[in-house]
Amino acid sequence: MNSDILISVQKVSKCFNRGRPNEIWPVREASLYVKKGEVVVLKGPSGSGKTTLLGLIGCMSRPTSGRIILKGQDVAKLPERFLTEIRRKTFGFIFQQFNLIKGISVRENILLPLYPTGMSFGQMSERVEELMETLSLSHRAGFPVEILSGGEQQRVAIARALINNPDILMADEPTAHLDSKLSMNLLETLGLLKSRGMTIVIATHDPLVFETEMVDRVYEVRDGRVRER
Amino acid sequence: MIKHLKILEFALSSLLRRKLKNLAIVSVFTTVTMVIASILFLTHSFKKEALLILQGSPELIVQRIQAGRHALIPLSYVDAIKGLPGVGDVRPRYWGYYYDPLTGANFTVIAYPEGIRKTEIIEGSLPGANEHGYCLIGSGVADARFLQIGDELFLQDIKGRVLSLKVRGIFKKSSQILTNDLVIISRPDFDRLFGFPEGHATDLTVQVYNPTEIQNIAGKVKKLLPDTRPITRSEILRTYDSLFNWRGGMLLALFASSVLAFVILAWDKATGLSAEERQEIGILKAIGWETSDVLTLKFWEGASISLISFLTGIILAYIHVFYFSAVLFEPALKGWSVLFPDFRLRPYVDLYQCFVLFMVTVVPYTASTIIPSWKAAITDPDSVMRG
Amino acid sequence: MIFHPGIIALFLGSAVVVLMLLYISLLSVRVLRYWDIRSSSELQLSLERKTYLTSTIMNYILGYQIVSALLFIYTVDSLHTEFVGAMCATGVLNANPVGWYVLYLKVLNLLLSGLWIGINILDQRSPEYPLTRLKSALVLILLPLIAAEGYLEVRYFLGLDPAVITSCCGSMFSAQGKGLASSLTAIPVKKAEAGFALVWTLFFISGTLSLKYKVSSFKYVFSIISVLAFVVSLASVVSFISLYFYELPTHHCPFDILQADFNYVGYPLYISLFLCTITSMLTGIYEALRRKVERKDVVDRLQRKTTLSGLVFGLLFLIISLWPMVFSSFTLQGY
Repeated sequence: MNSDILISVQKVSKCFNRGRPNEIWPVREASLYVKKGEVVVLKGPSGSGKTTLLGLIGCMSRPTSGRIILKGQDVAKLPERFLTEIRRKTFGFIFQQFNLIKGISVRENILLPLYPTGMSFGQMSERVEELMETLSLSHRAGFPVEILSGGEQQRVAIARALINNPDILMADEPTAHLDSKLSMNLLETLGLLKSRGMTIVIATHDPLVFETEMVDRVYEVRDGRVRER
Repeated sequence: MIKHLKILEFALSSLLRRKLKNLAIVSVFTTVTMVIASILFLTHSFKKEALLILQGSPELIVQRIQAGRHALIPLSYVDAIKGLPGVGDVRPRYWGYYYDPLTGANFTVIAYPEGIRKTEIIEGSLPGANEHGYCLIGSGVADARFLQIGDELFLQDIKGRVLSLKVRGIFKKSSQILTNDLVIISRPDFDRLFGFPEGHATDLTVQVYNPTEIQNIAGKVKKLLPDTRPITRSEILRTYDSLFNWRGGMLLALFASSVLAFVILAWDKATGLSAEERQEIGILKAIGWETSDVLTLKFWEGASISLISFLTGIILAYIHVFYFSAVLFEPALKGWSVLFPDFRLRPYVDLYQCFVLFMVTVVPYTASTIIPSWKAAITDPDSVMRG
Repeated sequence: MIFHPGIIALFLGSAVVVLMLLYISLLSVRVLRYWDIRSSSELQLSLERKTYLTSTIMNYILGYQIVSALLFIYTVDSLHTEFVGAMCATGVLNANPVGWYVLYLKVLNLLLSGLWIGINILDQRSPEYPLTRLKSALVLILLPLIAAEGYLEVRYFLGLDPAVITSCCGSMFSAQGKGLASSLTAIPVKKAEAGFALVWTLFFISGTLSLKYKVSSFKYVFSIISVLAFVVSLASVVSFISLYFYELPTHHCPFDILQADFNYVGYPLYISLFLCTITSMLTGIYEALRRKVERKDVVDRLQRKTTLSGLVFGLLFLIISLWPMVFSSFTLQGY
């Protein structure tokens, strides 16, 4: 196998409510791989299972069957505690809604993922200042997030995803709630990250996203099955 | 360590973000703690006060029993008891109760005892040995009769005549538990007031040299004078002790129901996670918090609420009992005596009461929050993605 | 008797804890039956989540055990005025001998909950959850013990009769009496001191050896000696350590040192001894569990920590207990 391969998903299925009348299989025998530095898009209509698949790849939940090899380690069978640890070190997430916590400041929102890691205060603040600088949020550092504009909130969400220095950035329908101008801004930021060597996986059905040139590979997801395009 | 600090910080900010809800819990928790702490402090303080008083009382008191009731004791018993080995001084005491029809109260009247000394607890002057026509009164008596030093106290003697006594001194409020209903008068006035028969006393106090011999000597007195009842100091202490424990326990049992109500409230508040809170925990899980991290967060939230309410409750109870003399309990306590002292209790608080308090407030509260916290903590990390 | 505030608090606490323990025991039975770490079924997933609940409740139970042990001693102690002949906790425990069993059970349960937490820590650091079944089985052992403690506690307090004239520490911990307490007291001070010195010397030697060398037997020996040290130390408190605190050659009571008169020195004394015993025992227990755990480095790291803390707490205990012997003018020469 190619040593560049960061994630390899092998015949992974996920089932909810198994054995009950409402049993569903949002992901069936999906296989795909992601190489280091690539931008990979999971494309499909809503309800196709791409979000579940993204969650599986990002160690949010465990597959019912199949293997997920992350940096050479099979993570499919790991219990939650260790899955979380791996997720914390490897992935940054950007969600469809920004999912920021209202009532606390921009800085705190960005720092949240680091709280359970026990990192020292000095390191934390160093990193958060640097990120806010890059994403031009410094002037908003102490503001509560809910008074920020949509674009700024989006940038806070990105900063939060990057605070733990992830290898891979996962984005779930990142443009769903953005107008085209903000969407373009976002893609610009992602492009910038790619140029710095970040691996990015995006689940989307927005042509604006999967038709940009920075996308290396597109997987089409339909009824839980994955096909490379 | 840093991890706990950061999570604690976040816990506090979460609590502040939901001020109203948490304020409701804290105020109920504080009230429950305050009420229970007041009960404990009050009874404990009474107990201590009583113990202190009894510490100064004689080792052994000998009463005479006639037809199963306390009767006057002949002074001839004094010498009989003095003859027992190990017995020091034996003294007669003259005291009785006077029902005052004017105020409906019972006064404790004591004949001016030998060897009384000027103490800090009395205002005014002490009379000489052969004076009569005076009295020293407790502050409860003074208040009931609106008396000041120099005024006259009028009592009705056994034949219905008026006995007028000049107030020479009033006991200070600080000694109220002991002296509230006290009237001290001279022997001749005492004899006249009650028509006391010659050669008799109310009871005898016996000094015993060796404290371990008290039981022994009590037994010998009983053998020598079968119509007497020797009462040892430790017996009195025990009675007091169990009385106060019982009172405290009864009140506490009554308040167990209020604790229960509080636990139900806590449960309700904690299980009924608002959509917003659920969302927040979902976010935390999604961005890399682990179940045990959320549990830690919930632990710190609960601990902060408990600590704040517990300490505030204790402090309020302290102020309530020792600065405001437990005003809230007055109706319940009034029944103890007509002349209820409006005393200022001396503060006695020890670690033990705090332990008890902790056990009946924090433990049930914590127990009621464990399962709801866990339910919140196991939220799926991908729940926010499923929206 | 039942209306004493402390007793109500103890009953309430016991009831809460037994209920919680009953709940996680039901979970534990399910774990023992259905636990399969290789399965990805929803049942397994929900069981894994329940293990979080079990650990959380067990953490709280350990905390409760500590508070309740102190409260029990305190309550018993505060009752002494109601019994003729009782001057401290000893007399009140004698008033209804069931009390001693409550006390022993409390000590045992405290140790066991501490060990459970230690095992839990190892389990949670190993990706394959190797000890979950063991932990569940331990919960099922703990349930009857803690329930028995609660039951005996109720029997003890309800059975207290203030009419009983009891003997207190003065007569119980005196060399002339009968029974365990007296025989502890009757040990000549010299011999007791020698035994104490011997067992703690062995403790520190074996502790240092197991820190330095990766030899299983050192670790087992260390743990066994720590249990021995625990027993010998408790006996020594009765036999001679307490005497130095009271500065009385005949007062052997193990409870009075918890009182304000002696600056509450009993608390750090007993707490350090308990912590020393629990952590040192864990070194051996981890050794025994080593073959079950894949990540040997985790075991090594934890063992290092437990051994070190065992030694530190042991040293602390020694300092506290020997302090008055060294620095007070009181001596037991000639007794």
